[in-house]
Amino acid sequence: MLANRGKSIWLVGALFATLMLPLAHGVSPLDLSPIEAARWNATHAAHLASRAGFGATVDELAVFSAMSPTEAVNTFVHGVPKSQTNDSQNQFGKNFQHSGVFEEGLDPFPASRPATTMLAKKQGHALGVAVKAGGNRPLQPVVNKFFYWLRASRLETDRVAYWWANRMLASKHPLQEKTALFWHGHFASNEDKVRDYRKMLQQLQLFQSAGLGDFRQLLIGVAQDPAMLVFLDAGVNTKDSPNENFAREIMELFTMGVGEYGEEDVREAARSFTGWSVRGLDFYVDAQNHDAGEKRFLGAVGNFDGIQVIDRILAQQATSEFLASKLYRYFVQDELSVAATQQLGQLLRDKQFNVGEFLRILFLSNDFYQSQGAHIKSPVELVISTYKKLGLSQVPGVPDFNVVTDALGQRLMHPPTVAGWSQGRSWITPSLLFERGNFVLDVVFPDIGFIPPDRFPPLVREVANVQSRLREGMSVSAATRPTAMLTDNQMGGEMAQSNALADRDEAFNTRLGSMRGWQMALERVKPIKRDLAKVDLVAEVITAKLTSPEQIVSYYETKFFSVSLPLSVRQALVTFLLDELGTRDIGAAQSYLEGPLRKLLHQMLSRPEYQLG
Amino acid sequence: MKRRQLLQGLGGFAGLQLFAPSLSASARATGSQGSADSPILVVLEMSGGNDGLNTVVPFADDNYYRLRPQIGIRKDKLLAMDEHFGFNPGLRGVQRLWQQGDLAVVHGCGYAKPSYSHFNSMAYWHTAAPNRGDEFGWMGRVADQLAPSRREEMLINVGTSQSLAVKSKLHTPLVFDDPNRFQRNGWMNNTADLQVENTDEISANQAFLLAVSESAKSSSSRIRQAWNDYTPGADYGVVPMDLPKVAACISAGLPTQLYHVAVRNNAFDTHVAQSALHQRLLSYVSDAVHGFVSDMQRIGQGHRVVVMLHSEFGRRPMENANLGTDHGSSNIMLLAGAPVQAGHFGEVPSLVGLQDGDNIQYTTDFRQVYASVIEDWLGVKANTVLNGDFTRLGLFG
Repeated sequence: MLANRGKSIWLVGALFATLMLPLAHGVSPLDLSPIEAARWNATHAAHLASRAGFGATVDELAVFSAMSPTEAVNTFVHGVPKSQTNDSQNQFGKNFQHSGVFEEGLDPFPASRPATTMLAKKQGHALGVAVKAGGNRPLQPVVNKFFYWLRASRLETDRVAYWWANRMLASKHPLQEKTALFWHGHFASNEDKVRDYRKMLQQLQLFQSAGLGDFRQLLIGVAQDPAMLVFLDAGVNTKDSPNENFAREIMELFTMGVGEYGEEDVREAARSFTGWSVRGLDFYVDAQNHDAGEKRFLGAVGNFDGIQVIDRILAQQATSEFLASKLYRYFVQDELSVAATQQLGQLLRDKQFNVGEFLRILFLSNDFYQSQGAHIKSPVELVISTYKKLGLSQVPGVPDFNVVTDALGQRLMHPPTVAGWSQGRSWITPSLLFERGNFVLDVVFPDIGFIPPDRFPPLVREVANVQSRLREGMSVSAATRPTAMLTDNQMGGEMAQSNALADRDEAFNTRLGSMRGWQMALERVKPIKRDLAKVDLVAEVITAKLTSPEQIVSYYETKFFSVSLPLSVRQALVTFLLDELGTRDIGAAQSYLEGPLRKLLHQMLSRPEYQLG
Repeated sequence: MKRRQLLQGLGGFAGLQLFAPSLSASARATGSQGSADSPILVVLEMSGGNDGLNTVVPFADDNYYRLRPQIGIRKDKLLAMDEHFGFNPGLRGVQRLWQQGDLAVVHGCGYAKPSYSHFNSMAYWHTAAPNRGDEFGWMGRVADQLAPSRREEMLINVGTSQSLAVKSKLHTPLVFDDPNRFQRNGWMNNTADLQVENTDEISANQAFLLAVSESAKSSSSRIRQAWNDYTPGADYGVVPMDLPKVAACISAGLPTQLYHVAVRNNAFDTHVAQSALHQRLLSYVSDAVHGFVSDMQRIGQGHRVVVMLHSEFGRRPMENANLGTDHGSSNIMLLAGAPVQAGHFGEVPSLVGLQDGDNIQYTTDFRQVYASVIEDWLGVKANTVLNGDFTRLGLFG
């Protein structure tokens, strides 16, 4: 919400806020009264499923439509009672299956390769690997291990993302996953910096288990979460050197929003959080490094610790308004007046910061059912809901889920900054619109040239070059020379510094370590299953008794779209399908219908209108 | 007098540049927009808050070493610049640009009442509206002045998402990351999407999506063609910072005058153990910029292209106990390219008398640099974009 365009709206909003405030008193701009049960229909049920979950199959929709609105909303908020599900048959209800890549000695992991080799030189070992007593490149095994863990943790994180995506698709409590996705963008940590899939998984499980409950518990959980402590450098926040990174972000991004506190509050909060540290996967308070002195924070004075700072933050009206409006933007729509912000903040306070209860009121409200089509789907929503509506029970291995969502701008476990992903229109650029259509194509016509990125890392050609040269029998020095230096001298003889200076330290060779690290990681990390999407569009046409091109287009429109297509588009789609079929008689075309239907679906789902939810 | 004229005796690049055509001030001012000779600005954003004090290092100031006993870079490690400053050891490429007379360093850039939030401060830099913000970005507003009716390819932004800096009232910025992927994939005769005239009433979001879709369709093949036709003619280093993509567009003769690229994901946010990391990041940027400027010379476009580098803020002059630095305020900016007047600009801020929590007081409003670029380079009246008058710095000859 805070970056790019989202930010500008916020800034302009803040400007308007001061102008509009006097008008706002006593007005309830959002109609939060519950929708009448008599009005409840399939369209409402579909809207609820798309926002409180990742859409619904035809069968699920029939069930939700037959419920009362209260029953349907409660099903999403509380989930289906355990006794009614057959989760034991659902492989994705299971816990994440570790490959077993972690070893003692890898945690704590030094901040960089230079930090690792310096440590090894100083103490004779690092990462659980001893420095060679003599011979060639004595630090090489340490450097290999360093790169091993970088690769292995990254690849294992991709498996965590797959595991989560499957839960989004198949869970009987999809709001839990949808809310976890919200918190993942709100309390954003990136594996690139955390460098430990175990901590990322643990953080995700916190979002899944506590995301719909009491926000105070969640916030404390996050403040003491190992991944967050590492990501915002809180683990090195000590009495003698308070580190402000976490203290600033907890107020700016996680609770109050900028402008509600001063720089002194940042410094004093940082002092209060000193000593909060991490050992392996556990939080602990290092009393030696905690500054127990008096602090002046948000107008109060005391010998505050981290919990007291959090409670002081939660007591600010700004916190409830900031959080409530961010939830509203995510689950309902982008546009939000200042008065509505105050109304929602009041609601969150009335519900004692219970997120599930707050959402229950929203999902029941008349306001919510007026927001159809007002939301631009996030990439993960787009991908999962497309799979869901295609009737898939697991996320296909082709196309690769992580490659697709990365290309669309929302790779799980890798939010771009601590501010998470900007929502709304920032999901859409010219090339991202292409990518969205290309994703659909890759599902309905799978790429036979697909190369699994977890087996053949395609983005590191230089690493593959090193390996092939070593196999040709070149020496390590020659094989690891940058490719640019080996090719003809079209570069005008001016070598870039980063290339020219590579690996002058003969105690080890970084490029060799990088290559060896890949090999070791690939050996250990379990492969991702590469099943294709099992789509049968003909069967659905038969089941739904569709007998004309018009009916098919209209069926897909109802099933997949939240806004109606312009008449001219609908006509063009019918003409397109007719051309592909060569007849109006669907029955006569049945034996070759699958191909034309897939082409039609690609046409439809790559349309701009499909991006609206 | 330009620094490079002083240096011409050194031969090499300095001499070569004398033969390159130069863009006359009048040609710039009359602004034949989009023509083969119109000036080009490339903004390279170093997100996360680059530590300017360890980038261009004031080794002659004892206060520097007093504030940074651990992470201060010793004089003998620095790359030579002049009698007061030295470059970070990662900046070999930037040092070459300096020696060629193709580099300007602007000191003390910032704004009053600085924000220490990455996202807010960056939004202020993107909109050129500190502590206020604007719906449109400063580059977007420049584009609105350059072409007062909607046109494609006015702004190119290489990245996964659109920067606020390029957001324009009239134009849809062309945003892409990988040129090879910038296309609609099709199936047999199914490549194009349906061409239909729409007369139905549509929502604002729908209209937005359709406009982006139109932009994508109209530019896709040109961008891919540009990329496929282009071979880098210089070494851009191990992380080229998307500058070869910009080079490809310029090489292909696209009418675009405004490009935006970034060191992404807050990479420069060096709170902990910063020295090795910071040097490495700087070497990437430095290699890429040097490669790009050299490449532009090679294809005879050096006289048209200026690169401007900035962050959302600098870092605090006093190191923290984790061998890193926290969010600060005032910072240096760099401008590179043949048209740039080489040398130091702006008052070098003092490292004593720090304020607002031990921060460096800014001496140059960053909008002065914007104003110089907008008016003296792009030939657009700066106050129409910046909503105010800012003293320009004479950054162009």
